[in-house]
Amino acid sequence: MKKLLAIYKTCVKTALNRAAAYRLNFILSFLITLGSNILFPLVTILIYNSGASFPEWDFYEVLLIQAVFTLSHGLAGIVFNEVLWKTMLHIREGSFEIVLLKPLTPLFFLISTSFEPEFAGLLIGGGVMFGIAAAHTGIASALAIGQFLLLFAAGFAVMAGINMMMAATSFKWVGNSRIPEIFESVKNFGKYPAAVFPQIIRGLAAFIIPVSMIGFFPAGALLGRLDLTAFIAILPCFLFMLIGIWLYNHMIRLYEGVGG
Amino acid sequence: MKLFKRKIDTLIAVAFVTFKEWGAYRTHSMVSIFVGPVYFAAQYYIWTAVYGGSGELNGMKLAEMIRYFGASALIGYLVMDFAAWNLNMLVESGKFLTFALRPLNHRFFAFSQKAGHRLLGFVLEFIPCLILFALLFKVDMRPAYAGWLLLSVVLAFLMNFFVNYCLGMFSFWFVHSGGIRMVYGLFSSVFTGMLIPLVFFPKPLQVIQLFLPFQYTAYVPVMVFLGRYSLGGITLPIPAIVGIQAVAVMTVFVISEIMYRAAMKRFTAVGA
Amino acid sequence: MPIIEVNNLTKTYTTYKRGSGAKDSVKSFFRRERVVVNAVDNISFTVEEGSICGILGPNGAGKSTTIKMLCGALFPTSGGITALHMRPYADRKRYVGEIGAVFGQRSQLIWDIPPIDSFNMNRAIYGISQADYKSRLDELAELFELTEIMHKPTRVLSLGERMKCEFIMAMLHKPKIVFLDEPTIGLDVIAKAKIREFIQKMNAQGTTFILTTHDLEDVKQLAGHVIIINHGVKVFDDTLQKLQLNLGEKKIIELTLEREMDFDASALGARLAGRKSPLELTLEVDMSQTVISDFIEQLSKKTGFSDISVKELPMEEIITRIYSETVS
Repeated sequence: MKKLLAIYKTCVKTALNRAAAYRLNFILSFLITLGSNILFPLVTILIYNSGASFPEWDFYEVLLIQAVFTLSHGLAGIVFNEVLWKTMLHIREGSFEIVLLKPLTPLFFLISTSFEPEFAGLLIGGGVMFGIAAAHTGIASALAIGQFLLLFAAGFAVMAGINMMMAATSFKWVGNSRIPEIFESVKNFGKYPAAVFPQIIRGLAAFIIPVSMIGFFPAGALLGRLDLTAFIAILPCFLFMLIGIWLYNHMIRLYEGVGG
Repeated sequence: MKLFKRKIDTLIAVAFVTFKEWGAYRTHSMVSIFVGPVYFAAQYYIWTAVYGGSGELNGMKLAEMIRYFGASALIGYLVMDFAAWNLNMLVESGKFLTFALRPLNHRFFAFSQKAGHRLLGFVLEFIPCLILFALLFKVDMRPAYAGWLLLSVVLAFLMNFFVNYCLGMFSFWFVHSGGIRMVYGLFSSVFTGMLIPLVFFPKPLQVIQLFLPFQYTAYVPVMVFLGRYSLGGITLPIPAIVGIQAVAVMTVFVISEIMYRAAMKRFTAVGA
Repeated sequence: MPIIEVNNLTKTYTTYKRGSGAKDSVKSFFRRERVVVNAVDNISFTVEEGSICGILGPNGAGKSTTIKMLCGALFPTSGGITALHMRPYADRKRYVGEIGAVFGQRSQLIWDIPPIDSFNMNRAIYGISQADYKSRLDELAELFELTEIMHKPTRVLSLGERMKCEFIMAMLHKPKIVFLDEPTIGLDVIAKAKIREFIQKMNAQGTTFILTTHDLEDVKQLAGHVIIINHGVKVFDDTLQKLQLNLGEKKIIELTLEREMDFDASALGARLAGRKSPLELTLEVDMSQTVISDFIEQLSKKTGFSDISVKELPMEEIITRIYSETVS
């Protein structure tokens, strides 16, 4: 474990050095990543500005959901985003062997070399949104913070699972740069108060593809507006991550079997 | 006349080749058959909730809003463009040379490619999603004025192409012109109207849009589909806004022509 | 009759020096240091109709720049080109309709679909009639002995097969002049031979070829006329025979001895060109005096060696020699 952490630390340092060396590119992609990922709160702002609202939710409460979603996205982006693109490139160019030749678990190797500081923009943007929203809504209780952290961690597991599944898909669906769109579209159901959606979608978003845990559930905890569903949904989240990891490793085994 | 026939012949041949080329990746296009309806479903429920009891928001009724998002997704499939990315890649890799060595105008070639590429989009994205929107969500996808809509979509197609080709041409001057393309992409995702009808924006922002290219690629044809157009407090009859759209396309065409000549001069002087 | 006339052709590039650190890049933003590069410097030559002309030179010598100007893809800084009674750069669109080009590293073929579809696209671009297209394609396919591979996606073809298809693609509109930039690069011996045979056959039908290459064998087997360019300057412009007369039939032999010993190269009719270490020798042998098998037989009688390789005279060496001759 200590050795793995040391490796990860070295890789992070390398990524930061690279960002510093190409700072102009870094700043540009930092801003573009931020810009393209905070468009959906813009829609919320415009809706509330025109005098409409989501029933029984005030503006800052919805903003808090979307801030949490953005934070989760930023954090997962820093850690996992490149895994998909790295896998895709290796598969397309037939160079995945390079990964298999390293004296590490392939997945760990890919994750540690995928550290992407560009996504820090999202973390900052999400943080600012979070600050503004929380200043208006207030936080229900100290217990709420504990619940939030627990649910946020579960949401992070969902993001990890999604990223693993996307990367696993790229083994079979060679060179398809639209894979993220598929998951991106489903994530829409975690960005808004769940009451907006019909029962069946709420169920799917809570337990099957638990995207509610990315934004809605943790924010709900802070606001003290949660029912038991959210806590029951924690288990499926970690299960989801494990399925993602299993799927990725399964694809590697298939690749080794067919490869050569 | 002979030249015209040859142009048409080239357009068809290039479009066919592109159709076949991208047809090899048809499953990539077919991602839209899943993604389109899922996005649409999200918008459907979000806006239904937002409207609640209220009859109109910024002059739009709920049913109109749902039709707005349906049409904007479908029109997006018809006018989507990759000319900037493609030209960028050709110049950076030096492959543009193979076009300079053939008796043709690359902009025309790229246009023919887009025709083939969007024909594929029509078959694999537009038609399936239209069927799903109409049957699954029971949305009324009949346009108010079919003729004007067709014209407006063609103009949007051209608009998106010329703008993107211009963005791509920056690669003749700048090594990292990809950044310009991405910044434009960011602005266009906000201001084309795909995200939210432009009438929801603050008024000054709406007025500026009349003089920027973004709305002419999506918002205008979608409003033509709905049968009424207004922006920045100005309401225009359909023929008028389509006329303005045509003028906008002409303007961008002229800009692209000037840039194309300068770019060819630059290319033959430097040889990228 | 000359098909191409080149007079005092010159191409200069202006580039800007770029600093590395942040300080330099800020400085260069305001005042940039200009660097003028003479890629092609005052070159003149003519190419006869129906000939095969080889342009040789090391990397960065100005070959590519010259050929791009001849193709009309690049504007000369000064001097002029007349080809097919046109000025290529000024009449580009009309001119490129009558020439063909195969640039070894830049494919015209579309990766994911069969070559036949790419061919048909060029048919439309060059405005070839269906009847002409069909008969021409049949003729070319027969010459290359290609039939079914034209119907397979380009990405599954071997490099040699792909190159043949590049040739067909460039020849469909019956170009009067064909420009080849490194046409045999990366190909195996058999594919190279096939490509050369094809060039000879098309040449026999009257097509003029201009080729740049690193491979001396291409030139020896194909070109009657050789031009050598170095540092943007023309250093040789004559027949192949004259070039061979100048150089003789020299080969370079690299030898690793088994043990350290005195070595008398002249006794074998060779010249000791270098000695990297006591064991590693470089010899230069004149093949007009001996046959390679005889030479090696003699050599093995005289000395034990653990490794041997036979090579052509490197391009840089040829150019240095020709250059020193033209100067003196």
